[in-house]
Amino acid sequence: MVSITIELLMDLLEKISVILVIAYLITRTRFFHEILDKKFTRKNMILFILSFGFISIFGSYSGIVVDGAMGNVRDLGPMIAGLVGGPIAGVAVGLIGGLYRYFFIGGITTLPCSLATIFAGLFAGIIYLLNRGKFIGIWGAVIFAVAMEAFHMILVLLIAQPYSAALAITQEVYIPMIISNAMGALIFAIFINNLNKERETARERDEYFDELTRKKYELEIAHEIQDSFLPHEMPHLKGYDIYAINIPAKEVGGDFYDFIPLSEGKIGITIADVSGKSVPAALFMAVSRTVLRAKATSNCHPSQVIKEANELITSDSKKGMFVTLFYAILDLKNKTMNYVNAGHNPPVMFIRKMGDLECLKTKGIALGAIDTMEPEEKEIKLEKGDVIVFYTDGVTEAINDKEELFGEKRLYKLVKVNSDLSAKEIVDRIKDEVIDFSKGLSQFDDITLMVLKVDDQKKNKMNSFEI
Amino acid sequence: MDMEDKKAGKVCVIVLNGRLDAYSSNKLDDKINSLIDNGCQEMVINFEGVDYISSSGLRVILSAVKQLRKNQGDVKLACLKPYVMEVFDISGFTQLFEIYPTEEEAVNSF
Repeated sequence: MVSITIELLMDLLEKISVILVIAYLITRTRFFHEILDKKFTRKNMILFILSFGFISIFGSYSGIVVDGAMGNVRDLGPMIAGLVGGPIAGVAVGLIGGLYRYFFIGGITTLPCSLATIFAGLFAGIIYLLNRGKFIGIWGAVIFAVAMEAFHMILVLLIAQPYSAALAITQEVYIPMIISNAMGALIFAIFINNLNKERETARERDEYFDELTRKKYELEIAHEIQDSFLPHEMPHLKGYDIYAINIPAKEVGGDFYDFIPLSEGKIGITIADVSGKSVPAALFMAVSRTVLRAKATSNCHPSQVIKEANELITSDSKKGMFVTLFYAILDLKNKTMNYVNAGHNPPVMFIRKMGDLECLKTKGIALGAIDTMEPEEKEIKLEKGDVIVFYTDGVTEAINDKEELFGEKRLYKLVKVNSDLSAKEIVDRIKDEVIDFSKGLSQFDDITLMVLKVDDQKKNKMNSFEI
Repeated sequence: MDMEDKKAGKVCVIVLNGRLDAYSSNKLDDKINSLIDNGCQEMVINFEGVDYISSSGLRVILSAVKQLRKNQGDVKLACLKPYVMEVFDISGFTQLFEIYPTEEEAVNSF
């Protein structure tokens, strides 16, 4: 008797191996994926039901006949079909297997075995519904298979006649049938689990690539916005030399500078840094620059310009966006500069006469931070050879591979040492030093630099337009 | 960037550790917003472990103070390292926030 049990078990496991190969192939088909995605169509449902119906019929046969009945894995087809495809698929596959059993294989267990197969599909379908269409998981499927086969045996004992024969058959087959169906369910469930994981990974990968593409476009857009709001030509100012550059970081930081022609002989000069990165920063930069321009052209006091610009910008700044900004009005003829520093890195001025540096600070706060402000305004006198270097924190906060900051000290030294050069040369020198300093590391923030120099020799720069 | 939040009586305290750059600022923004959504009115941010703060970091803190002051709440800052203090100072934000040398003083100031 034990030998029959083992023989039957081995036979059923062989059968299962074949079934699983077929099942594996089914799981790679498109219709199966559509069923998993719950995109049910008539076509994929018919293919799905026929495939698993075939598996159920195929699973009806084993080489071992016990008192006229055969140990089998017929219930596996409807169980899996129901767990994956829902009650309709489960019951339909159950009917295929069950009716086949009823009409084509005889014996005293015909009725209970046929019913068991139909119930297997129905119960699996109910589990599918209870689990809201989600696959029940590996252990859920195994426990279900064990319970289902136990139920199958109980049906045989209740219905088959005579009872003694039913009992004899049941005793013979229950262990191999429970084990083999459970094994089949286990392996099939592993297939489905792996398939689901694989699909999840593929979906995440696709989403990730979509996200990357979107991000890339976003960066390009931010660049374009920023670039379109920066001056592309330097103004030619009689008696002065001015030059500026902006090197945007990959993720642009919303730095900007601007030259605003005012009344005759006066020009507004600004450098600014917007909080945040990418498109939000670029848009906020565009707004700030436009607001400043509008206010600057209608007012000749930097403090008033900043006060009014702040009110407009604050009312637009919902998510704590702010802009640090230095604004100055340069009087070309009188060689004076009135300025307001609204929370920006203080520009550094090389005073030729003293051979020393001075930082252009005023008491101020970034625009967008508070509703009303009374910015402090200062005036300086410019003399021949004086140099003012305006910059954003991308310069002083450039980092090297030892995580050191470029810092003000290095910048100040460069300003002092290079003060004899032209504005463009000074800008280039500082830029080269900063880039060299953070060599090999990606640029974290926009680098913006502007140099204004009062001509110290009688140059003939009459080939350009003048303000 | 590590961030940890705790309660000191009615006051929510966020302790920060690491670099407060564009990336970690978004995390801090989410954290602050969820605290505010859960009814937090009084907040202390402890900068003990922060060596670097970018403008994105300032933006998040400014956004927090704007939201909280609308409802008579506030954000107070504690334990700013010299470099972070300098960033607050340059931007003028030292005029906007109450800044305390220790977390305890900041909590007790409410």
